[in-house]
Amino acid sequence: MTLSLGRRLSIRSMIYVAGEQIPYFWPMRTFIHHNPLHGLEDLPFEQAVQEGKRLFRGHVFLRRPVYQEYLQQGKVNHDDLTAQVAAFVAKRDNIPGIDLQQWLMALLTQTEQKVVFRHNIASDADIQAAVNGQQLPQEDAFTPATLVPYLRHELLGDRPVYDAVDALYGTAIGAELDELVIKSCLDFFDEGQSVWSMPGRKRGFFRAWREVANRNIRLYLRGMHIQDILAADDTPEGVIAHVMSTLGIPEDRWVHYFTRELAQLHGWAGFIRWRWNAKNYYWSQRYPADLIDLIAVRLTFALALLSERGRKDIATTVSEIEEAIEGNTMETFLRYELFGKRIVPAMARRVEQTLARANPSRTKKVFHEYVECKRQHEAGNQADRLHRLALRVDQTETLESLSPEGFNDLLDSLRLFERYEGMAWLRAMEAQAISTLLSGVNPAPPEPRKKRPFVQSLFCIDTRSERIRRHLEGVGDYHTYGIAGFFGVPLSFMELGKGSEMHLAPVLLTPKNLVLEMTVADAEDVHPVTALEKAMHELKESVFGPFVTVEAIGLLFGFDMVGKTLMPQTYNHWRKRVFRKKRSTHLLIDKLDREQADSILRTVQRAVIIMAIEQDLDLEAERISDDMVRELREAALGRHSEATELASTLDISKQQEREFVLRLRDTYQINAAYTQLQMERLARIGFSLDEQVGFVSQALRSIGLTRNFSRFVLLVGHGSSSENNPYESALDCGACGGNHGLVSARVLAQMANKKEVRRKLRTQGIDIADDTWFVAVLHNTTTDELELNDLDHIPSTHIFYIDRLRNGLLAASRLCAQERLPDLQIKPQHREPAVAYREVERNAMDWSQVRPEWGLSRNAYMIIGRRSLTRDMSLEGRSFLHSYDYRQDPRQRLLENIITGPLVVAQWINMEHYFSTVDNERFGSSSKVYHNVAGRFGVMTGGLSDLRTGLPSQTVLNKGMPYHEPLRLITLIEAPLEFAQNAVESVVAVRNLVANDWIRLLVIDPVKQIVYTYNKGEWDAQPLSDVKTPSLAKESITP
Amino acid sequence: MPDLLIILLAGLFLPLFPLSMVFNALLDRIQHPWLRSVLFIAWPFNGLFILLYSQVNLPDWLLALALSTSALYAFRMLSLREVNQWNQFLATSLWSLLWLPVMQDTPPALLYGYAIGMSVPLVLLAFLSAGLVRRFGAAYTGLTTGLARTIPRYSGLLVTVVVAAIATPLFPSFFIMLHLVVDSLSVMPLVAMALLLIWLLWSWAGAQLIQGLIVGRASDIKIADMGNTTITLYSMVLIALVVGGIILGGVIL
Repeated sequence: MTLSLGRRLSIRSMIYVAGEQIPYFWPMRTFIHHNPLHGLEDLPFEQAVQEGKRLFRGHVFLRRPVYQEYLQQGKVNHDDLTAQVAAFVAKRDNIPGIDLQQWLMALLTQTEQKVVFRHNIASDADIQAAVNGQQLPQEDAFTPATLVPYLRHELLGDRPVYDAVDALYGTAIGAELDELVIKSCLDFFDEGQSVWSMPGRKRGFFRAWREVANRNIRLYLRGMHIQDILAADDTPEGVIAHVMSTLGIPEDRWVHYFTRELAQLHGWAGFIRWRWNAKNYYWSQRYPADLIDLIAVRLTFALALLSERGRKDIATTVSEIEEAIEGNTMETFLRYELFGKRIVPAMARRVEQTLARANPSRTKKVFHEYVECKRQHEAGNQADRLHRLALRVDQTETLESLSPEGFNDLLDSLRLFERYEGMAWLRAMEAQAISTLLSGVNPAPPEPRKKRPFVQSLFCIDTRSERIRRHLEGVGDYHTYGIAGFFGVPLSFMELGKGSEMHLAPVLLTPKNLVLEMTVADAEDVHPVTALEKAMHELKESVFGPFVTVEAIGLLFGFDMVGKTLMPQTYNHWRKRVFRKKRSTHLLIDKLDREQADSILRTVQRAVIIMAIEQDLDLEAERISDDMVRELREAALGRHSEATELASTLDISKQQEREFVLRLRDTYQINAAYTQLQMERLARIGFSLDEQVGFVSQALRSIGLTRNFSRFVLLVGHGSSSENNPYESALDCGACGGNHGLVSARVLAQMANKKEVRRKLRTQGIDIADDTWFVAVLHNTTTDELELNDLDHIPSTHIFYIDRLRNGLLAASRLCAQERLPDLQIKPQHREPAVAYREVERNAMDWSQVRPEWGLSRNAYMIIGRRSLTRDMSLEGRSFLHSYDYRQDPRQRLLENIITGPLVVAQWINMEHYFSTVDNERFGSSSKVYHNVAGRFGVMTGGLSDLRTGLPSQTVLNKGMPYHEPLRLITLIEAPLEFAQNAVESVVAVRNLVANDWIRLLVIDPVKQIVYTYNKGEWDAQPLSDVKTPSLAKESITP
Repeated sequence: MPDLLIILLAGLFLPLFPLSMVFNALLDRIQHPWLRSVLFIAWPFNGLFILLYSQVNLPDWLLALALSTSALYAFRMLSLREVNQWNQFLATSLWSLLWLPVMQDTPPALLYGYAIGMSVPLVLLAFLSAGLVRRFGAAYTGLTTGLARTIPRYSGLLVTVVVAAIATPLFPSFFIMLHLVVDSLSVMPLVAMALLLIWLLWSWAGAQLIQGLIVGRASDIKIADMGNTTITLYSMVLIALVVGGIILGGVIL
C-alpha cells in the first residue's frame, strides 16, 4: 500500500490537530512552568477543567475534606460560599419540605464523601424504596438490551481499542504497550546518557525504530509480528492508516482517537511535540522526530499486541467489540464490571469463576443474580448516604416522606451541585484571597523624599523576591522594584568554555543577540582535579569500565558519599576550595561593525591556514610568510587563481597546490559560503548602541524609575543551588528560560554603566546621575544570599560604601532565611537570623534534601503597580510583584508589554502549581524519591514511566496535604479602569485568559480609590473603603 | 487398613492432587476466619498423625506427586485475585511439601513444629482477609488498591504476614525450606531444583498479591485502620514466629 501525498498530508494534519491539546514539555535542564491544560485555554476555565479531567483522567479540584479544612482555617470565604449556593438554589424548583440551601451547605461543609454517585442499574424509585426501608420494586422491564447503549458508550467512542480490551478481558495491553513505547523513546531520544544508542537515528524516529523493530527477535518470540504490520507501508502515515483501518476505527473519529493515544503518555508526547517545534534544538536537528512517528510506533505496537491476544479468542477490533456488546451483552457486561473494577466486591469471585467457565446458561443465571445484587447494592449505598446527609440537617423524616417527584428533584439537585462544587470552593477561596489582599493595599502615593535612597534594587518579579525585598526595605534606606528577571533583554549566552548557547529569555521569545563571556586571563591547563573528575565520569559511562573501577577506585566515591552525607556543609566548603573557582570574566555586549567582524574572521582563517600548512605539508612555522597565507586564503575564497608563493617555496606541482587549496575549502571550511555564514554569526554578537539605550530605557521606564537615581542601583538576578536535584532549574528564573538570572543582570548593568548610553538616555528624559553605578547581584533563593558581582569594575569612589551595602544585604538575607525556615523544618522552631541562615545554607548542600526550598509554591497574586501599594503588608512570598507607574506610560505600551510577557509567564507558573497540587499523580510528577533521570532531559518514576511533567510532591505538598493553595492567579493592576481595560483588550492572549476566567483580574484606580473586579464580562466596582469586608461573588454554580 | 487407603487418607490432609480439591472445596464454603483458622491448624496435624501413627511404608512416587501438587498450586496462585483463595492454595502448596520430611524420617515433634510454623501465618492472613472483606466488601486484588495510603498500619501488617507465609527469612517456613533444599541437594538435586522453583513461585505470587492491594490509586473514602491492641497482638505473634523460626533454624540446620 502506498498512500498518496494528499492522504499522507491529511493524516499528518489530523495528528497535528490531535496534538494541540497536549502541553509542551521542555527538557529538565531548563524547566519551564506551563499550564498542563494550555491546549484548552480557549475554553472557559470551568469547561476546560472538565475536558482536561476526561482527557488526562485526573482530578481538577482538591478533595472536599481539604476545602473543608481551609474553611475551618478561614481560607475560604463562608459568605461567598453561601451566596453561591443561594444562587444555585434560586435556579432550582422548590422541593416541598426540603430546605435545599441547608442541604447543600451541609453537603459542602459537613460531608466528606460524595453524596450522589453514578448508578447504572438502580433507579430513583429503587433508591427511594431503600431510603424508606422498603423492598425494592419488582424490576420487570430490565433486559440486557438496556445495557447496550451504556456499554457502547463506555467501550467504544474515542477509547483506544486495547483499553477497551483490557477493560473486558483483564489483559494488560495498555501497560505493556506503554512500556514498549517508552523503551523505544528512551532508545531514540537519549541525549548522551546511554553508552550504546539506537542505530540510524539520523533518519528519524520512525525509520530508525522500524529498522530495529524488524529485527527484534524478542518481539517475535513474544508473538508480536511487527514485520507484517510494517510491511504494509514504508511511511509512518501509511502504517497509521493501515492500523486504523485494521482496527476498524471510523475516520471521523481518528482525531479524537489520536488525542487519546497521545494523552496516554502525555509527557513523552509533550516532549516530542516541543522538540518538533524547536527547530534550533541541537538534538532535534540531529535526530528528527515528530508526533506522526510516535503515533505510528504506538499504533504498530498496539496492533501487534492485539493480534497476539486475538489468537486467544478475544475481541480485538471495534467490530468484534461491537459484536460482543450486541450479541453477548450479558457476558460483556459482567466482564466490564469485573475487569473494569466496577463490580460489587462480594460477587467478584463468583463472576470471575463464571466467566472462566464460559457456560452460557450459567452466565445468564449469574448475570441476573449480579444485576439484582448490584441494584440492591447501589440503592442501599445511595440511600445510606442520603440518610446521613438528612441526619446532618435533621430532616430524615422529610426525606422519607418525599413524593417520588420531590425525591427525584432532590437527587438531581444534589447530583448537579456536586458536579460543579469544585468551582464553588475555588471561587470562595479566591474571594477570601482577594479580600485579604485588598484589605492590605495602600493606594495613597508615596511621600515625596528630599534625598535619594542609599540603594535602589531591581528584583525579579518572582514570588521569592517579595520576602527579601520586604526585609531589605526594612533594614535601611533601600528602595526595591520588580521587573521580569531577564530585565527585558532577551539574549543568547555562550558561557566561557562552553560551545553551546543558552537562551536567557522567557520561552515565548527567541533572542536575536548573542553575548559571549570572555576572559583576559591566560588560557590555563586543565586543573588536575577537574581532569580526574572527567576521567572518572568517562570510566563510569563506558560499558566495561564499572567492572574495573568499582574494585580499583570505588573507595574514592565512598569518601565523597560519606562527606556529602555526614557533613555536607564542611565537605562542600572543602570541595569548593579544591575545585578551581571561575575566573573573572567580561561579557562581550557591543556589536561588531563589519570591519571588526571581517578582521576577526580574517585572523581566525589565517590561523587555520597556518595550522593546515604545518599539518598537511609539514612546513615549519618560520618558513610560512604572511603573503603566502594571504594568497592561499584568497585562493580558497576563489579570489586568486594564479600560482601562489607556496608552490615556489615547497616546489610542488600545480596539481598538488590545487589539491591543497581544495582541502582548505572542504576540510578547513575556508570558503566563501562558510565565510558568509561566519559573518552572519558574528553579526549576532552584541547589541548596537541604540539597542542598548532602548533596553535600558524600557527596563527603567517599565518600573517607573526615571529620576532620582541612587549611588547604587542593584540589578538582582536570581538562581538556586541544590544538590542531586534534577528539578534545580525549576527553582531558577523562569524569565531567563529556567537559568540563573545573573548574566542578564550583568548585561543590563554593563549597558547602563556606559557613558554613551547614559548620554542618549538623557535626551529621552532619563537622567542617570554620574555617580550612579549599576551592580549585578545574584539572589540565591535557596540560601537567600545576595552576592555582589563584577566589583572589580566598580569606581573607586564607591568602594567606601561597599561595607555598608554588604551589611545591609547580609541582614536582609538572614532575616529572610529566618522567615522561611519554619516552613522547611519538620517541626517548626524559632531560630535566630544567623542560625537560620546557616541552616538554609545546609539545605543547598545536602544531597539527601528533597526540598531545598519551596520555590514558587503558594503563589497566588500578581501585582502590577507601585511598590507603595503593598509595601506596608507582608505578602508571605505569594505574590509576583511588577513595578509599574501608569503615569509614565501614556500610551499603555509598557503595560501591554508587562501583561504580554510577565503576566502570561506568571499564569503558566500559577496553573502548573494549581494542577500539580490538585492531582499530583497525574498532573504533577509524584514523589522525587522514586525519580530517575531519563535520557538527560527528563525524569521518570522508577525505571520506566511516562516523562514526569509537572512539579514533584515535595514542591507542592507537605505531609500529604497541599502546601500550595491552588487558586487562579489574582492579578491586580494599579491604573484607571479604562486604561487597564484598553491594555488588556489590545493583547488578545491575555484578553482570552481573562474572559475565560483563567486569571482573576482586578483593577485598582488610585485616584478614585475604587476597585474593579472582572466578573463574567462585567466590571464590578467597589469603593476601596468598603473592601475591608469581602466582596461576594455574583457567580453561581452553573446548573 | 491397607497402606494405600492410609496414604489416600493422609493425602487428603497433607493435600496431594487430586485429593487436594476436597480441602479447597471445603475452604471455599467456609469463609469465617475462626473456622478457617481451626482448619489451617488441624488439617495438616491430622495428616501427620495418620502417617506417624500408621508407620506405613511410603512409595517413592509419592515424592513426585507431592512436589507436583505443591508446584501446581504455587503456579495457580499467580492468577488468583481473592486473598482467601490465595491463602488456601498456599496452604495446599506448603503442606504437600510435608511429605518430604515424613519420607526422610524426621522426628515427629519436629514435623509438628514444621506444620505449626507453616500454618500460623496462614491463620493470621485469614483474619486479615476477613478484615478486608469487612471494610471493602471483598479481599480482592486490583479492586481495592492503594491500601498503603488508605489503611497504612493494616497494610504494613498484611505485607509482613504475606512475607511470613511465603517463607522469607527469618520466619519458620524459610528455615524449613532451607533445610529441605540443603538435605536434598546432594542426594536428589532435581528435588532441590523443584523446591527452589516452588519457592520462587510463592515469592512471585506474594509480590503480585501485595502489588494488587497495597500500591496503586487509593480510595478517597476514609476507612478505619487497625487499632493499637489488634496491631500489638499481631506483632506479638509475628515476633513469636521469628523467634520460633530462629530456634527451629538452630535445631534443623
